Amino acid sequence: MGKYVVRRIIAMIITLWFVCTITFFLMHSIPGGPFTREKELPEAVLQALNEKYHLNDPLWKQYVDYMKGIVVFDLGPSFSRPGATVNQFIEDGFPVSAKLGGVSVLAVIILGIPLGIISALKQNRWEDYVVTVLATVGVAVPGFVIGTTVIYIFSAKLGWLPAYGLTSWKHYIGPVLALSGFSLAFVARLTRSSMLEVLQQDYIRTARAKGLAEGVVIYKHALKNALIPVITYMGPMIAAIMTGSFVTEKIFAIPGMGKYFVEAVGNRDYTLIMGATVFYAAFSIVMIFIVDILYGVIDPRIKLED
Amino acid sequence: MAENAKISPQQWERVPAEKLEKEKISRPSLTYWQDAWRRLKKNHLSMLGLVAIILLTILAIFGPMMSQFDYSDQDLTMSNLPSKLEYYQVSEDSYIYLHKEYRLYSLTKKGEVLEKLPEAKNDMINKFRSYEIDGKEVVVDYSFAAAAIKSGDPNAKKFEIRIDGEAVQPMGKVWNKTYIFGTDHLGRDLYVRVLYGARISLLVGLIATVIQFFIGVTYGGISGYTGGRVDNIMMRIVDIIATIPLLLYVILLMVVMGAGLKTIIIALGSVYWVTMARIVRGQVLSIKEQEYVLAARTIGASTWRIMARHLIPNAMGSIIVALAMNIPSAIFTEAFLSFIGLGVSAPMASWGTLANDALGGLRTYAYQLFYPSIFIAVTVLAFNFLGDGLRDALDPRLRK
Amino acid sequence: MDRRILELKDVKTSFYTHLGEVQAVRGVSFTLDRGEALGIVGESGSGKSVTSMSIMKLVQYPGKVKDGQILFKGQDLVPKSDKEMMGIRGDEIAMIFQDPMTSLNPVYTIGDQIMEATMKHQGLSKAEARQKAIEMLKLVGIPSPEKRVDNYPHEFSGGMRQRAMIAIALSCQPDLLIADEPTTALDVTIQAQILELMKDIKDKLDTAIILITHDLGVVADVCSRIIVMYGGLIMEEGSAEEIFYTPKHPYTMGLLKSIPRLDLAEKQRLVPIPGTPPDLLKPPTGCPFASRCPYAMNICIETMPEYTVSETGHRAACWLQHPDAPKVEVETGVKRGEI
Repeated sequence: MGKYVVRRIIAMIITLWFVCTITFFLMHSIPGGPFTREKELPEAVLQALNEKYHLNDPLWKQYVDYMKGIVVFDLGPSFSRPGATVNQFIEDGFPVSAKLGGVSVLAVIILGIPLGIISALKQNRWEDYVVTVLATVGVAVPGFVIGTTVIYIFSAKLGWLPAYGLTSWKHYIGPVLALSGFSLAFVARLTRSSMLEVLQQDYIRTARAKGLAEGVVIYKHALKNALIPVITYMGPMIAAIMTGSFVTEKIFAIPGMGKYFVEAVGNRDYTLIMGATVFYAAFSIVMIFIVDILYGVIDPRIKLED
Repeated sequence: MAENAKISPQQWERVPAEKLEKEKISRPSLTYWQDAWRRLKKNHLSMLGLVAIILLTILAIFGPMMSQFDYSDQDLTMSNLPSKLEYYQVSEDSYIYLHKEYRLYSLTKKGEVLEKLPEAKNDMINKFRSYEIDGKEVVVDYSFAAAAIKSGDPNAKKFEIRIDGEAVQPMGKVWNKTYIFGTDHLGRDLYVRVLYGARISLLVGLIATVIQFFIGVTYGGISGYTGGRVDNIMMRIVDIIATIPLLLYVILLMVVMGAGLKTIIIALGSVYWVTMARIVRGQVLSIKEQEYVLAARTIGASTWRIMARHLIPNAMGSIIVALAMNIPSAIFTEAFLSFIGLGVSAPMASWGTLANDALGGLRTYAYQLFYPSIFIAVTVLAFNFLGDGLRDALDPRLRK
Repeated sequence: MDRRILELKDVKTSFYTHLGEVQAVRGVSFTLDRGEALGIVGESGSGKSVTSMSIMKLVQYPGKVKDGQILFKGQDLVPKSDKEMMGIRGDEIAMIFQDPMTSLNPVYTIGDQIMEATMKHQGLSKAEARQKAIEMLKLVGIPSPEKRVDNYPHEFSGGMRQRAMIAIALSCQPDLLIADEPTTALDVTIQAQILELMKDIKDKLDTAIILITHDLGVVADVCSRIIVMYGGLIMEEGSAEEIFYTPKHPYTMGLLKSIPRLDLAEKQRLVPIPGTPPDLLKPPTGCPFASRCPYAMNICIETMPEYTVSETGHRAACWLQHPDAPKVEVETGVKRGEI
């Protein structure tokens, strides 16, 4: 186990370095530099700006400086808002996004997994059909459609839910639905098919032959095995929910990191885009690492591989 | 043994061998692809998906040609007209529609929009407009609107139409025959724009998937076929890439290369090949151990020949399933990018940009969001159904 | 005390699929005494596994025991509820399965999986159950059981897993042990060890054993009585000697000819039985083996024969045994002393 963790941490550092490097060189390959806009700036101002942000330094020096900054978690100044740093955007936006994302992940786990189990246990009965239809539609509807539909029906037409912001529990319903809809449906489908497959396994027959009660067979013997593929999906799910926040926060006007990121893309605020990308990537790499450790705890066979 | 009597001598005769043979039911032997197609045909949802995709493709190609409008035609006098029109009758042959912005349009009985009526008087202080139609005075009084909005009740009365001083009620609703999906805020025909969006979405889905296919198959094929250290290094790289949320890189590429159709296709194609590479590698690893590959090698077939003739065709089943599953996710991603403003540039339209455009007027003109949304959902659903069916049909484990 | 532990009377089990009723077991009767080992032989689809699952009442949905009686210690199991069966399964009747690689739950330790049964049926505490689990592992010949008890299945070899399966099955001292192809997935040396272990248990614990297999060599080793099944019916039943040396049914003869033998001269040929088993969705009205039988007569296709029973209890369902049947030259079983 210890060796495995060390190996994974090394892989994580390599991945992060890879991410930072690619991001840096991609952003610096944009022709014309960050201050080339429709409205042309006077030469002197441009020079001053380039000087201020060290854009006149040779590329390798800029790269080394940037990497040095990342090590101490200093992502540099924002180009679009003078005086603001990328760190400030993250400090402002991330807690909001994390709260929303956390609630969404919880929603997926608390609703998606039980729905999948019910569906599998009631195979070919009405409960199964309801869950299957909902889940099939759920993976076909993009988050922005769910979000806008919720606003239209529950905010505009019925007036039950607030449309903007994130201050009361009612504010969470729409954004969480938009953010978790796809993953919830996907997890319900995955749990269902995984559960059905596990219930066909020989060891379930063994458990029944031992005279165990059906509840023990299902919740002790089948569920733990059925959850293994669901846990594998947790990594991609975190990425999906994170990137889903780009549209959700835009629709519901929530001042989170997703909204800042989309605005940065619109404003061509290169340092903010770069910083947010590095931050998002690092966050998701760490989350996937945690999921993998969790995976090793549930499935004893994993430890053997290292 | 009373039974004995019942058994006649001829019953004790041996059954000729040919007769026994005949009783055996033999199943016609089918090739892999025939068998797969037979199984796919039996899957109703998949066939429904396939039919929906074909219809959509036909509609995307020929639909816009049938229309009198082009996707970029603007007519500001015709902006924000919904697909269903609530109409009022002025006289025998004269029908009007009241726009949400309190303008009047003349209609035919069938629902064709004729024109925006010129107003005789527009009193912005007392909040009413008056028109003269067929010699009658039609007044649109929207002085209640402010109070209605303030009350917060969505059903409160906002306006009144009076014909010659008498308040009238709507006759009913008629489908908009001129703009069947309505128009957007610039007066562009949504029907043409949604079908045009279908072109873009299908094109992006298809080409991006084909690019992924080539990169993924080449990468996975080389990795799996070469094996050893090369395979190890190539797969470590894939592992590293797989832990990064790839959408971020698509967005970065879009920023670097500038938004547009070509960029979307390149960005999607060049980033999402990782899954395909893994599938192909796994397939190649298992297939290359098979006897027939060894047999091919012993008779001196070249590596490329073995790859092209043996490995790829045998891995095709899983590759096709992965392709079918990738198309909807490419369509999804394109819509997503367009929605956050990184899509095709105006006046081109994709479903994502249409949804984004509709966002501003959502409360009043929800139909503008409805049509592109339905199209995305139905398309993705159709591809998912087809993909599920293909997986079941092409999975050799399920073959009976 | 009554030695009779199990009696099946005309048991019929069907699967109700969307294509129709698949009659997997079409009327099976036999008896079993304490300390006796009965072998059930037949190819796949003959109904032998479904018969054993019927005794456990573990036939999977959409299957169901639709008719007949299963008398276990004089009590009919067929009308028993699932809850009542839970008290019997694992306690009085235990079962081991074909593939030890997949029959143990990969996410729990071997010890956990043994302890479950004893804690449930014998009300042992956790510590007692653990002690018992270690004892059981020792009984089935697992070295250093105190350590092995905390291992996961993937840390066991195939043979050890099957031993662990046997340990689970025996942990509550069952009166009847059903072994469904217990050695098929194992290699030959391990096979012999497992069979030896089963014989040992039968003698030491006076457990009745039903051994289901398609391998005649395996039954010859362990069982005193053998049932040959085909098409959901018992074709022939007799002592091991009778089945091997004087088989009465052409299907049994066919089975005997299809086993490879190391002891014969080099020119021996394996003779496969041509054709495939009948479709149990539409079972034939006559003898199910008729379409593959080298001696098939018209009557075989029309009517299912009755059993002809000898004084020793050797019975076979074949028209050739009918007193009026024409005498045909049939090749009998193996020569005495060959197996």
